[in-house]
Amino acid sequence: MAYVSIPAYWKTIPQRYSLIASRCKSCGTINFPPRDICTGCGKKTEHEPIRLKGQGKIYSYTIICAGGAPPEFSEQERLGGSFGVAVIELEEGPKMVAQMTDCKPSELSIDMKVEAVFRRVYEDDDVIRYGLKFRPIRA
Amino acid sequence: MNSGIIGYGAYVPRFRIKREEYLKAWGSFSPRGVEEKSVTGLDEDAVTMTVESSVNALKRAGISSNQLSGMFFASTSAPYAEKLSSSTIVASLDGPSEIFLADLGSSTKAGTAALLSCLDFVSSGRGDEALVGASDVPQAAPSDPLEHGLGAGSASFVTGRNDIIASVEGVHCSSLEIIGERYRRQGERHLKDSGIGAYTEQAFNHALTISVTGLLKSLELKADEFAYAIFQQFDGRTAYDIGRKLGFKENQISPSMTVTKIGDSGSASPLIGLCAVLDIARPGDRILIASYGSGSGSDAISLVVTDQLVETRNRAPLVENYLAQKEYIDYLTYLKFRRMLGAR
Repeated sequence: MAYVSIPAYWKTIPQRYSLIASRCKSCGTINFPPRDICTGCGKKTEHEPIRLKGQGKIYSYTIICAGGAPPEFSEQERLGGSFGVAVIELEEGPKMVAQMTDCKPSELSIDMKVEAVFRRVYEDDDVIRYGLKFRPIRA
Repeated sequence: MNSGIIGYGAYVPRFRIKREEYLKAWGSFSPRGVEEKSVTGLDEDAVTMTVESSVNALKRAGISSNQLSGMFFASTSAPYAEKLSSSTIVASLDGPSEIFLADLGSSTKAGTAALLSCLDFVSSGRGDEALVGASDVPQAAPSDPLEHGLGAGSASFVTGRNDIIASVEGVHCSSLEIIGERYRRQGERHLKDSGIGAYTEQAFNHALTISVTGLLKSLELKADEFAYAIFQQFDGRTAYDIGRKLGFKENQISPSMTVTKIGDSGSASPLIGLCAVLDIARPGDRILIASYGSGSGSDAISLVVTDQLVETRNRAPLVENYLAQKEYIDYLTYLKFRRMLGAR
């Protein structure tokens, strides 16, 4: 992950904290993260904000092991061990990349049902960067 | 105007450590009656726990976060010494930007203080619905026996004037100046106490006796007229000891005693106990809740359950669901998870 300054992070808090996406008023496509040019119709149209539910399934995943974590996640890897990073296919359609939490990497599988949880993602510039991770939905 | 609780929700982290792990590491485990305790993951703190308990409370209340006009957050272990935590919680819930915020701390009594403030906020007419969250992950030095009992958890409530599930019947509070009991100086990371058990117990008993007997007297009630009695839970025995002295029986106290499974969750402890009781209470049941904060003070509250409780109960996970979802870790992993070892 590249360095994100405090103001840059702040600007994206609605999408990072509560999955605020944008819905294209012309074709109805849900864009996450929100964007000016719709990924569905390719036009610069009007959008309305929509909050995604945070339910989905694992589309693909990888495992970050010792030495493989970017600097802001190296302490997490050192103290907590390997962790999963997944491409999540959300119920509403969009895909997003997020860390998996409250589970071992060995538990992960494609199509596993997951839900978003609000967690500390990392710290930078002495500031806690909160955001969403995903955990397996256990029966 | 009458106000009451219209939704409740708890959260307990997934990780647990058993008392046996402490016995292996230290040869002792100080809190009486605690079998295991909950441990936050590396990515959790008092704020993240409150977000999940608040989602559960809002589901039970059946309202949207944008209907809230107040948010009260209580914790002795907030992630920032200065910077609002309530604003983070409101933002994560996609709540309104026009809302009253209050962060309370400094004692384990902060949870009931925040609940009472949240009830008063609504009964004063300042807002129709408000949210309160109490959450703690207290920390002491690993070499201090005080550390053994410290767990983690969160409880949230929505207060309002309509569709009340538990109404407030009475409140009675106490204040005593007690020094050198459980405390943490400004800027310090670790909790401390005098290490004199009898001194702490005397202070605890005194503050709770004043608040609880005062409440019973003002309502002209006897201990046996309560279906449940919930006390501040530092360990698995103290609450029973004070309860017995005040005329309550073990079966009135035991349903709220989540401390035996999650440890001391600070300002959240009596309120997680209240969630566990609301999970099983019946309409008409009277509930006593009495908190304690070192230094010291106590809030005693009498609640009466309404018919409304039953239909809201299954809209969110029960406390016992969280207690059942667990993964055990060893003491070394515990030290790393709590950043007592290996953190830079």
